[in-house]
Amino acid sequence: MDFLADHQLYIVMSIVLIIWLGLVVYLVRLDRKITKLEDSLKK
Amino acid sequence: MKPLFAPSYHIFLKDSRSELRTRYALNALFMFVVTALSVILFSLGSESVSSDVLAGMLWVIIFFSSMSGLSRTFVSEEERGTVPTLQLIARPTPVYVGKLFFNFVLTFSLNVVIALLYIIFINNFVVSSEAIFWTTIFLGSCAIASSSTIIAAIIAKANTKGTLYPVLSFPILLPMLITVIKATQLSIEGAFFEEALGEFQILVSYTVVVVAVSVILFEFVWKD
Amino acid sequence: MPKYFFWKIALLIWLTLVIVAGLLMPMVPVPHAWYELPIIPALEDKARIIFFHVPMSWTTLVAFIASMVYGILFLKTKKMDYDLRSVSAAGLGTMFCVLATVTGSIWAKFNWGSFWNWDPRETSIFVLLLIYGAYFTLRSAIDVDEKKATLSAVYSVIAGVTAPFFIFVMPRIMTGLHPGAKGDEAGSTPVAQLHMPANMQVVFFASIVGFTLLYFWFFNLKVRSARLEQSIHQP
Repeated sequence: MDFLADHQLYIVMSIVLIIWLGLVVYLVRLDRKITKLEDSLKK
Repeated sequence: MKPLFAPSYHIFLKDSRSELRTRYALNALFMFVVTALSVILFSLGSESVSSDVLAGMLWVIIFFSSMSGLSRTFVSEEERGTVPTLQLIARPTPVYVGKLFFNFVLTFSLNVVIALLYIIFINNFVVSSEAIFWTTIFLGSCAIASSSTIIAAIIAKANTKGTLYPVLSFPILLPMLITVIKATQLSIEGAFFEEALGEFQILVSYTVVVVAVSVILFEFVWKD
Repeated sequence: MPKYFFWKIALLIWLTLVIVAGLLMPMVPVPHAWYELPIIPALEDKARIIFFHVPMSWTTLVAFIASMVYGILFLKTKKMDYDLRSVSAAGLGTMFCVLATVTGSIWAKFNWGSFWNWDPRETSIFVLLLIYGAYFTLRSAIDVDEKKATLSAVYSVIAGVTAPFFIFVMPRIMTGLHPGAKGDEAGSTPVAQLHMPANMQVVFFASIVGFTLLYFWFFNLKVRSARLEQSIHQP
C-alpha cells in the first residue's frame, strides 16, 4: 500500500499505457483489414 | 462597377417592394421584438441588473430578431418558386449584393428600433457615450447582415431551414457579437470615442472579409 | 502488409516514448540531468498536460484547415473524392476537438477551480466545436450529394474565414486565464510559446509531430474505408 501511495505517477502511467496499447493494436488491425479488402477488390 | 450597381439596386427594390406589399414579415418581426423585450422586462421585474448584463441582453435580442428575419430574402424565393426566373434575369453577384443591401436595411432599422425601445424602457440602461453606441449599432448591423445573407443563401437550399439558420449563423457571428458587446459596454461607461476604435476596426474588417468571400462563393451556392 | 508498415510501427513506438517521457521525467527544483524537468511553481506535475492537451488542439486545427482546403478543391474541380476527404478530415477534427476541450476542461478544474470559464481560448475551442456541429447538421439536412458537398464546402470556407478573427480578436479584447491572453506575452497562436527549457521543448515538439502524423494515418484509413464503402454501394 505504501508503494502505491508513493508512486502514484506510475499507476497513472500504467493506465495510460494500457489504453494506448489497446489503441495501437486496434489501429494496426484496422489498417491490415482495410489493406486486405482493397487487395481483394483489386483482383 | 456600373453593370453591378443597377441590377443590384433593382433586386433590392424588388425585395423591398414585395415585403412592404404584404407587410406580413415586417409585422411579425416587429411583434417578435416587442415580445422578446417584454419577456426580458417581465423577468427583470423591479430588479436592477448590472449594465454589463444589459449590454449582453440587448445583443441577444438583436441576434434572435435577425435570425427571425434575415433568411426571408432567400427562403421566400424558394417558396414562391421564383429562383429560376431570378437566375435567368441577373448574374449571381448582383443578386447577392441586392439581397445583402436589403438585409442590411432590414436589420439596421430593426436594431435602431430595438435600441430605442431598450433605452426607453429599461431604466438601468444609460448610454453615456452616444457616438460609440450608435456607431456600434450601425457597424454591428453591417456585420450581422454580411454573414447572415450568405448563410441564408446556404440554408435556403437545405431541408430544415428554420432551425438550421441560427445553428449555422451563431459560430460565424460569435466573434462579432463579443466585439459588439464590448463596444456597448464601453459606451455605457462613457469612454472616449478613440478607445472604441479597436472594436470598430474589427467590425469593419469582419464585414469586408465576409462580404468579399461571400461574393466569390455565392455563385456556387446559387447555381444548381 | 499495409503500406509503410515499418514507418507506422516506428511512429507508434515514438508516441509511446513521448507518453512515457511526458509522464515520467521527474520534476526537480533545479534540473541537472538531461532527463530532469524544472518545477513550474503552482503547476508542478499538472504542467505535464502541455505534452498532450496542446497537440490535441493543434491537430484539430490541422484537420479543420485540411477540411476547408479539400472543400475548396471540390468547388474548383467538382470531384466527389475531394468532398469525401473533406468530410473525413472534419470527422477527425471533431474528435480531436472534443478531446482538446475535455482535457482542457479537466485541467481547468484542477488548476483554476471550475470546469468552464468562458476564457477567450476556451470559448474559441468551443466555437470550433459548434462549427463542426453546424457542418454535420448542414450535411444531414441536404439530400442531393452534389448539393451537400457544395454547400458544406462553402460553409467551411466561411467558417474558416471568420474563425481567425477569434484567434486575434481574443488577445486584444479580453484578459483571460489561459496562457497567451492579454497581459501574458507568451503568444497568441494555438501553439502557445511558453518559455520552456530545451529538454521540455524536445518532448513537446516530439508530441506535436507524433500526433500530427497519427492524424494523417487516421485520415488515410478513414478515406480508404469511405472509398471502399462507396465502391460497394456504387460498383
